[in-house]
Amino acid sequence: MTPMEMASFPILTAILASTIVGLLVIVFIPDGRDKLIKQVSLAFSAVGLALSVWVYLTYDVQKGGLQFVERYLWVKGLGIYWFNAVDGINAPMLLLTAVVLFTGVLTMWELEVRVKEFFAFMFLLVAGVYGVFMSMDLFWIFVWYDVSLFPMYPLIAIWGGTRKEYGGMKLTLYLLAGSALILPGIIYLWVQGGAGTFDLFELQRIGFTPQVQRVAFIMLYLGFGILAGVWPFHTWSPVGHVAAPTAVSMIHAGVLMKLGAYGILRLGMTLCPEGLGYWSELMALLATVGIVYGAFVGLAQTDLKYVIGYSSVSHMGIVGLGLSTMTVNGINGAVFQMFAHGVMTALLFSSVGYIYDKTHTKMIPELGGLSRTMPVASAFFIIAAFAGIGVPFMASFWAELLVFISAVKTYPVRGILAVSGLVVSALFMLRVVQKTFYGEKNEKWEHIPDVPLFLATPRIILVGTILFFGMFPRVMLDVIQSAVIPFVAGLSV
Amino acid sequence: MMSLLKDPVLLAAALGTSLPFLSMAVILVFTRQNQRLSATISVGSVSVSLLSSLYLLITLYGAGAPVQYEFPWLLADDIVIPFGYLLDPLSLLMLTIVAVISFLVQVYSIGYMSGDPGFSRYYAFQSLFAWAMMSMVIAPSMLQLFIFWELVGLASYLLIGFYYEKWSASQAGKKAFVMTRLGDIGFFLGLIILVLGFGDLSIVRMNEAGQGHQIPQYLITISALLIFGGVMGKSAQFPLLTWLPDAMEGPTPVSALLHSATMVAAGVYMFSRIFPFYSMSPEAMALALAIGTVTMLLSSTMAMATYDLKQVWAYSTVSQLGFMVMGLAAGGYFAGVFHLTTHAGFKALLFLCSGIFIHEYHTNDFRIIGQQGGRKLMIPMVCMTVGALALSGIFPFSGFFSKEAILGVLANHPNKLWLGAGLVGALMTAYYTFRLIFFMLFPRGVAAAHGVHDAKGSGHGHDDHEGEHHGYIFWTMAVPVMILAGISVVLGFSQSSLESFLMGHGSVPAQLAASGGEGHAAAHDGHGIGHYALLIGAVTMALGGIFWAFMEFGRKGATQEGFLRAFPVVERLFAARWYMDAFLRAFLDKVIYSGLTNVFTRNDRRVIDGGIDGICFFTVAGGRLLSFLQSGMLQYNLLVMIVAVGFVVLYFLLA
Amino acid sequence: MNSLNVYLTIGAALFSIGLLGVLQRRNLIGMLIAVELMLNGANVNFMAFNRFLAPDPTVGQIITLFVMGLAAAEAAIGLSIILALFRRLHSINIERAQQLRG
Repeated sequence: MTPMEMASFPILTAILASTIVGLLVIVFIPDGRDKLIKQVSLAFSAVGLALSVWVYLTYDVQKGGLQFVERYLWVKGLGIYWFNAVDGINAPMLLLTAVVLFTGVLTMWELEVRVKEFFAFMFLLVAGVYGVFMSMDLFWIFVWYDVSLFPMYPLIAIWGGTRKEYGGMKLTLYLLAGSALILPGIIYLWVQGGAGTFDLFELQRIGFTPQVQRVAFIMLYLGFGILAGVWPFHTWSPVGHVAAPTAVSMIHAGVLMKLGAYGILRLGMTLCPEGLGYWSELMALLATVGIVYGAFVGLAQTDLKYVIGYSSVSHMGIVGLGLSTMTVNGINGAVFQMFAHGVMTALLFSSVGYIYDKTHTKMIPELGGLSRTMPVASAFFIIAAFAGIGVPFMASFWAELLVFISAVKTYPVRGILAVSGLVVSALFMLRVVQKTFYGEKNEKWEHIPDVPLFLATPRIILVGTILFFGMFPRVMLDVIQSAVIPFVAGLSV
Repeated sequence: MMSLLKDPVLLAAALGTSLPFLSMAVILVFTRQNQRLSATISVGSVSVSLLSSLYLLITLYGAGAPVQYEFPWLLADDIVIPFGYLLDPLSLLMLTIVAVISFLVQVYSIGYMSGDPGFSRYYAFQSLFAWAMMSMVIAPSMLQLFIFWELVGLASYLLIGFYYEKWSASQAGKKAFVMTRLGDIGFFLGLIILVLGFGDLSIVRMNEAGQGHQIPQYLITISALLIFGGVMGKSAQFPLLTWLPDAMEGPTPVSALLHSATMVAAGVYMFSRIFPFYSMSPEAMALALAIGTVTMLLSSTMAMATYDLKQVWAYSTVSQLGFMVMGLAAGGYFAGVFHLTTHAGFKALLFLCSGIFIHEYHTNDFRIIGQQGGRKLMIPMVCMTVGALALSGIFPFSGFFSKEAILGVLANHPNKLWLGAGLVGALMTAYYTFRLIFFMLFPRGVAAAHGVHDAKGSGHGHDDHEGEHHGYIFWTMAVPVMILAGISVVLGFSQSSLESFLMGHGSVPAQLAASGGEGHAAAHDGHGIGHYALLIGAVTMALGGIFWAFMEFGRKGATQEGFLRAFPVVERLFAARWYMDAFLRAFLDKVIYSGLTNVFTRNDRRVIDGGIDGICFFTVAGGRLLSFLQSGMLQYNLLVMIVAVGFVVLYFLLA
Repeated sequence: MNSLNVYLTIGAALFSIGLLGVLQRRNLIGMLIAVELMLNGANVNFMAFNRFLAPDPTVGQIITLFVMGLAAAEAAIGLSIILALFRRLHSINIERAQQLRG
């Protein structure tokens, strides 16, 4: 491991604090001051965004390794540290979280029901997400992970839509089941490590026996895999996304599912490289099935949000496939895809959210011809759909390119199958676009105004992000790579 | 940045290719509301592209080695994806073609699209199309080519489905995108295999290594076959050809662009781009030859059975593309590229002429256009006839020279079957082309049609078109057409200079010729006695086709029914595109929708969710069962407690 | 007859009567009284053992005092619960209070 320099200013803690302080401020604003609450939320999410962008931009790619390190002993007996740091893998994730939170707050600008509680829960959720992404201590990763899980239930059950109690319950139960696998996995590693430390890198240096690694890896993989929407543990995701309110779907599909993949990468693959080697065939298989399967099931859906939910299953399969190749480019692509897919899904959900707010339906057969009445609002969705298809100059294209190259190299048959899934994903995205936005002008929606500039801001930001990283992939890939190359070198040792 | 300013060639290449992109962005973001400004920006940027491509062509005309610029676009471990420009004769020629046709089409569209509510959007997409195509053409590596290749697909999706309110249009756009995507999967896999096996996708190095036997033979064959999948999709080769006839749902200028210099040309261009590489695999060449031939013959038959003006040209495009692929696959590098060039000119011409008729008469049926006096529109009628003559391969129009070149290559092929097929194709082409022309020139039942026409109320001029015949709208459409007609007349005579340019020093095929490839030889061997026999044969075929069409449709008293009427089964077969669409539809419905999709969806609902719900159900049921103990009657609970304590006491007493 | 046995018998009798009352009475006040009986049965036992067997005579008395204090507190809380129940159900019959049924 490269020597760590402690950061002079705890900027990562500051990012985390931006959500927690924001949460407290929101809680103490009197009820009924909805406008103020929204402005405060926006301000605090903007602080988080600014700090994350700053961290991302000042991350020294040449030097690589951990930067902005904050490491203090917290509980001596158990070896728990307050240990936050950034490397090339979580820098994009922090950026993603910040972008999605900021745009999510903007997307919910027209919320009127229980505004205060909504934003409070949302900030709590995001505090957990930031915490997982920046922490390098197993204990804290688990704590933050659970912090990010439990606000989901109230957020879905109170502000949700279709079958909200069912969706919320299903999602919460699934994720808690995952959590119930992760905790024993972490404790198992702590016990087997024998050094009495939760520090990720100290544990990594211990080097577990292959036997331990196999057991621990499958527990961590399944536990985090549930959150990452790995087939066949994916069914909570479409149902949950459909039920959730727009911003929650954005955060959930955009960021929380990445949390799962990140967990597999950061915990499972870092600590148990041999376990990964043992289970990678299975990972690749499940991922490939997920890619193809998600696309096919997406083809049959009639609810816009279900379609997006299944596209997430398919796209997260690409992440899984990339991780399972254990090659530099596979993991590069997987991390890039995590970012790209996060932004893309956030955009999809944000667009659907606006359409749903105005038309009060998200059933594809009832919509149709929307392009005529709201061309700009439709354009956002169509752009996102193209990003989903993997059109060049969109961020996800590069990610898919790298993943598929490595996949065909490592697992030829599965790789080719996964590539063929692209045709189906094109088919189902275009089908949705055609049925929702094209066609005769629909009398029903004639009175609906097109999206005004302010409400379009979140989508403009997201589209900008997709296109920027699509045109200048090096801005992202160089950062990711600075962590992935040493990481993969560590795998093979 | 500094190097950009110091090097005029680089500046021209960068400016010419990226300006349309900027214009697209500006139009979409800022000037959507202002139609005039949008059109000005778009046409302005494409004219800069045109000028810079001409500048490049002139500057680099005699330059020996290809000029290449590369900047690292993406560095990922061992994969380097450069962004750059490769300026060699082939790319310069193609760049010029694309710029010329895009420019003319955009000028034409000012008239054709005037008054359309999506005018600005149209120009934005046109710019996107031009940018994608030009960047693809001068791509130095196959990956960059693939990236812009996909963008070309995207742009054509957007333009084919431009009238998105029409269901058939959005359907056609989707079909085009998905079918070409199907081919692209092959292309993509081919590239991946090549990256993994060879490690470099630079076009120049690929071709050199292929020629120099540095790539294992099996690798060349596999990747060439897979890459040909891309050609099949983009250039509408059998069996992925049916999207192209449907693509005429877009505005007619789009069809002109799509069918001549962009979309479909991309496939053939890519084929010729890696021709030296490709030609090292005889298996792949044989397959390409067979597919080209089948495509050409099938689509020619389809063209004989339709009455849709644009559809005839669409089928003829497919068939000419098949012809180009035949030429290339038979080893005729120059012949294929030359036919691509001439075809771009006359096919754009034919579509733009058709556009004027369609704009005027609001119908695609050439019988009706003929009956309503289409021939009175002198300029388009004459130009269209010029295009038709070129398409049929009549001297001195451009098609004659390029077809001759391809037939010459085919004649040198050991298997004369292909030559025969080529000649039959020439016959059919002339037949269906002039079937259309004669329908329009010598309409029957004019009187009856006049009645219909008058009933509509306004003599000749449809509503507001009366004043436009000499207004700017008409002329924005007529001038590009006349320019293209001029090009179609003279382009053929530039054969030898083009040939020396393309086959000259520094170009890829020069190396091919040096290493004894057959392409160069074939093009030159043509000038023997056999060549004249072939020449006569080909012209006879073309004239025969025209005569045949004249007998059936042109001469006085002709029935205008065609021989196909006598064979209704065959006619239905041709009109239904050999049931290829029906087959695809059935495949999609049976296998994709009600097959796999259905199975997977059911699995999701029943098996996975069912299993989970089952677990939940048993958990809840178990809880319910146990909850009977919790009667809520305080005293029963107490009783149970006491009895239990009694048992514990008993246990301790007895133990 | 040993006097300890007499006290123990009385204590057991009091406890059993109380237990029977708790289990059988439907009236909450009655149940409360029965609980007091049970506690006092226990108290009698404590005092008897304290008087006849214990080496340190104060322990049993202290516990008995505790139990009496506890009983007072229990009566106070119990009565307030009963009052609350009565407000809600307009009855102090235990059979009406079944809302915790599973």
